[in-house]
Amino acid sequence: MASAEQTKQPVLKGRVSRAGILGFLSAQGILVFFLLSMFVFSLFSEQFLSQSNIMTVVRQASIIGIIAVGVTVVIIGGNLDLSVGSMLSFATVLVVDLHDKIGPMNAILVMFALTLLLGAVNGFLVGLMRLNSLIVTLAMLSVIQGLVLIYSGGQNVDIANQGGTWFAFFGRGYVLGIAVPVLLFGLLAILVQCLMSYTGYGRRIFAVGGNPMAAVYSGIRKNWCVFSTYLISAFCVACAALVLGSRVMGSQNNVGQGYELLVLAGIILGGTSLLGGAGSIWKTVIGVLILGFIQNGLLLMGYPYYTQWIVTWVIIILAVWLDLANKRKRLLTTHS
Amino acid sequence: MAINNTLKMSVLAASVFVASTTVAYAENSYRIGITQNNVGVDSYQTTYERAFVEAAEAAGNIDIVVLDAGGDVARQIGQMQDLVQQQVDAIIIWPTNGQAVIPAIRQANNAGIPVVVTNSKIADAGMDFIAAFSGPDNVEQGSSSAEMMCDALGGEGQIVQISGQPGYTTAIERAAGFEERLAELCPGVELMETQPGNWNRERAQRVMEDFLTKYDRIDGVYSGDDNMGVGALNAAKDAGRAGDIVFIGATNFAVGYDAIARGEYYGSIYQSPVDDAHAALQTALDVLAGEDVPKLNFFETPKITAENLEEFDRPVF
Repeated sequence: MASAEQTKQPVLKGRVSRAGILGFLSAQGILVFFLLSMFVFSLFSEQFLSQSNIMTVVRQASIIGIIAVGVTVVIIGGNLDLSVGSMLSFATVLVVDLHDKIGPMNAILVMFALTLLLGAVNGFLVGLMRLNSLIVTLAMLSVIQGLVLIYSGGQNVDIANQGGTWFAFFGRGYVLGIAVPVLLFGLLAILVQCLMSYTGYGRRIFAVGGNPMAAVYSGIRKNWCVFSTYLISAFCVACAALVLGSRVMGSQNNVGQGYELLVLAGIILGGTSLLGGAGSIWKTVIGVLILGFIQNGLLLMGYPYYTQWIVTWVIIILAVWLDLANKRKRLLTTHS
Repeated sequence: MAINNTLKMSVLAASVFVASTTVAYAENSYRIGITQNNVGVDSYQTTYERAFVEAAEAAGNIDIVVLDAGGDVARQIGQMQDLVQQQVDAIIIWPTNGQAVIPAIRQANNAGIPVVVTNSKIADAGMDFIAAFSGPDNVEQGSSSAEMMCDALGGEGQIVQISGQPGYTTAIERAAGFEERLAELCPGVELMETQPGNWNRERAQRVMEDFLTKYDRIDGVYSGDDNMGVGALNAAKDAGRAGDIVFIGATNFAVGYDAIARGEYYGSIYQSPVDDAHAALQTALDVLAGEDVPKLNFFETPKITAENLEEFDRPVF
């Protein structure tokens, strides 16, 4: 994490050295915001901070969180991945449909293999062919959704024997009192955070995203680095599909529709720059959790679902603005 | 109609292709164009299309032009205009939006082509321009669900509702029918809160989890369809509270049918996409034959509970 922050802002000496509460507030603004929003919601709903509710929210957020971990890596590498929503539909439909046909173990293996293949296609087009990632993954969003519809013929898929399959473990199981989706989310987050902060590979991704030209001149194989980020993203989607399929024990064709935006929202809220070369997994984790708690809090307060959209995105714009204001040291724009 | 049993498992795309390229100009045959809402996103619409195509083929003297708007209003309006250009004998439309398609329907009507609206109604302003509507009575379905809820709870209790896609006519009508009938029949049952589940099982599951946190006592859940209802059931099972809650849905899905059979789910409304498709085609044929067709043609959508479960085939979706 420390190295991640250094790569991000090597010139912000004033900010790093500023001591005291103010320094902490501006450096960890997102965490402060998180605690503040928790506090506000707890005033309006007595169940909000109950242990069971917190566990519920974290579990609900973990599907988006697992995907966001992977997409954060892509974004740090300087690209976008908008295809994760469709990819989630694809993987979930596949694993649920194959579960009854070839058994859970084979279904999981096939699902992982094909999802990684989709990731490789993304990676090939963006990394090796060097096409624009926004266009490629936007196209893949539709292509993959089309594949799902062809595969399923438009029908929902279900697992017949919901009570008697160990597949239930991923979405409904508990280990030491903690829900498996949450464990998976936490485990992936820690793993990828370590990968990004403490390995040469992680540093190379930061370098590629921050300054691709410089990265190439320092001998980094940029194209393969970008390629690999899409594999990580696809792997995370496959893990999320495992949780989603097992949680619902069935799947609609468009079950992942809109997830790409929720994932991006969580990442932006966490403070990872969409321009690449900066950010961290743990920020994304916080961002995703804030998103989950906002949605849950508004629902507990009895607001309808669409107010969630408004509130969520207003908060995101606010967060982005405050972050910029903090960097510029003023609230409005710097002179153009 | 025994076509129900002869559902071919051909790939969707293939059947569309075959259907839209069959253009035979036989004597005394009708050409009927259909523009559907969004085939492929859900099993109901997919099954509907298959049944429609097969019924038309079985009838023999009908050529059909099958189109799908992919949920896009603009595309559907374009398709309506195409069908008018092709001078089909009748148009069947499954509206993507009850308001926005009215001008296109009016155009067809002005061109002398009778329009039959299927499955989901259009706004009252457009009713003058259509020959007939054919589909389920969603208000009535909501009322029936309220009656089941009342029976199941013995007239006393606290319930929540998970509704369909906000703004979609079916969702609005079912919720309205349910709420009105419940208030009149069962004042002792309190509807505490309604949240949309967007016809999505995972979304409904999340909403139900939050309801379970928020309310210590929930006696019943009414869901706008069984797909969402089963999501709610999943959440309640997970929280160990499924035994205390009565689950009632609409549009019986296979998963809902099975849950009723297991005794976990109280009841639903049996709405067959096959009946829906057949009713639409029959209505169009009646109109073309010059019969006196009523404006609103509802096909039957009975209540289904554990008591009469055997009378119904397990839904194919």
